Amino acid sequence: MENVKQINTDAARKGLHIASRVLIYLVLILGAFVLMFPYIWMLLTSFKDDYEAMSLTLVLFPKHWIFSNYKEIWTIVPLLRGVGNTFIVEVSVIVVGTFVSSMAAFSFAKLKLRHKNFWLLFLMSGMMVPYAALMMPQFRAFMALNMFDTLWPLILPGLFGNISMMFFLIQYMRGISNAFFEAAKIDGAGYMRMFVSVMLPMVKTALAAQIIFWFIGIWNDYFAPAIYLKSYESMTLQPMMARINSDNSGGTNLPLIMAGAVLSSIPMFVIYITCQKYFIESLAISGVKG
Amino acid sequence: MIRQKVNKLTRRENIIAFLFILPPIIGFCIFTIGAMAFSFIYSFQKYNILTGESTWLGWQNYKDLFTHILYSKSFYTSIVNTLVLLLSIPLSMILGLSLAGLLRMGNIKGAKVFQVLYYLPAVSSAVAMNIVWRYIFNNEFGIINLIIGKKIPWLSDDTLIKVAIIIKNSLNGMGTAMILYLAGMLSVPKDYYEASELDGAGKVKQFFSITLPLITPITFYLLITGLIGGLQSYADSQIFGAGVQGSQTIVYFIWARGINQSRYGLASAASVLLAVVIMIVTLIQFKLSDKWVYEE
Repeated sequence: MENVKQINTDAARKGLHIASRVLIYLVLILGAFVLMFPYIWMLLTSFKDDYEAMSLTLVLFPKHWIFSNYKEIWTIVPLLRGVGNTFIVEVSVIVVGTFVSSMAAFSFAKLKLRHKNFWLLFLMSGMMVPYAALMMPQFRAFMALNMFDTLWPLILPGLFGNISMMFFLIQYMRGISNAFFEAAKIDGAGYMRMFVSVMLPMVKTALAAQIIFWFIGIWNDYFAPAIYLKSYESMTLQPMMARINSDNSGGTNLPLIMAGAVLSSIPMFVIYITCQKYFIESLAISGVKG
Repeated sequence: MIRQKVNKLTRRENIIAFLFILPPIIGFCIFTIGAMAFSFIYSFQKYNILTGESTWLGWQNYKDLFTHILYSKSFYTSIVNTLVLLLSIPLSMILGLSLAGLLRMGNIKGAKVFQVLYYLPAVSSAVAMNIVWRYIFNNEFGIINLIIGKKIPWLSDDTLIKVAIIIKNSLNGMGTAMILYLAGMLSVPKDYYEASELDGAGKVKQFFSITLPLITPITFYLLITGLIGGLQSYADSQIFGAGVQGSQTIVYFIWARGINQSRYGLASAASVLLAVVIMIVTLIQFKLSDKWVYEE
């Protein structure tokens, strides 16, 4: 009798379990749909014509799929120029900035340095300062240097490295055994050799992940580019998108703008999907470790 | 003799090690400390746009922010707006926590897929996202109003635009919170739950007495990063709000006065106040964290 009762409640529990699992899946899928909707809507709208996009009745799918928006957007704004400018900033900042940041990280992690903690705290304190509090003097300085409406204000600060990248690499490099560097020292390697040919190859993956994050950060950067870049010739992608949007605030050309938004999101999308493991893992670590 | 040589080697290493960290230090001195110092100096000056000359004003810019007929109202509005918009932080945390709880409870197979999808808005371009969301919330032909069947003035009403931004940001931020909370939940040792099960604690009680206290470091982390990011929000006013009064944040105020109207003094005063608030927030939260954050 007791046994039967036991089995019954077990079965009941199991039934409830399946039902609740289905419910959980439904909630999660609904949430994912809500979050994906803007992307879907962006894509669908980019294939519509103006009238359909601004229709006062709900039109989910375009009646006639129009592909010309994707052709037109390249001629209405110099989108290719925008991509090119973005890449100029990306490459110069990432190549030089990564070298500088990882070299400093190597020094902090492995070399004898006087007042090491002071310098580390000194650099870290900058992470508390909002960009808005640095913006005006930087703006006036770049104006005075005749660098307004050029890419220099976006490139120059990046050449001195990236503190969060440096901090992450320090943690990573500390985990690498000192024996490698002592051996290199005995072989007569200088510190630069040690950094370039011993340390860098060993931190390749960590470096790659950081470079990817930085790449996406620069790709999506909007505030500083919007301040400094005024002409289409010098604009990077994001301020260009914002400009197209504000020039068409009445809503005309909406499908065209959406086509531009889709195109400008593709590189980020591809990188994110192929490297999603890095993104999720490093986010999870950042929170759990504080 | 040997000691001298060792000393010499150490000194050499010291010098080279310093040269290695020199570029970031130079960059920091110019672009952060130098700029911050100048912001501070500007905030006590008046800049004449026509002559390009600066004259000393004392505390007048700071007083103007709070009392001047032309600026005080928009300054107050921007403070209120920024604070109201911060509501999206707790909302996204609650949503993220619930989602993480669901993933954990259901022991979901496709957890990775959900994580990737939910985190997507965080790596997307704020410009592209704001453009689409603006279209979704459009007063006339936005899909939300078409579904509801009413013309709710989301984008033009000073209160509704904040509601729209809060909805948008809560959704976009919940993925980050979900992933962090899930990582936190997975790091809670299993035997804690087994022990409490023996004591007869139910799932709900377990959640409130074990899980929630143990993941406070994550709540704390999300609060700090959310607050620091939220106080600096700008794209929401500029792109989503298109500069509508009800969407103007503090950073938008600083941008509009400083960059757009060349009122460097006034804008610098506001930016110095913002920097002070952010620094205080960071320091207070670090202090508080010793007390109410669980750490082993």
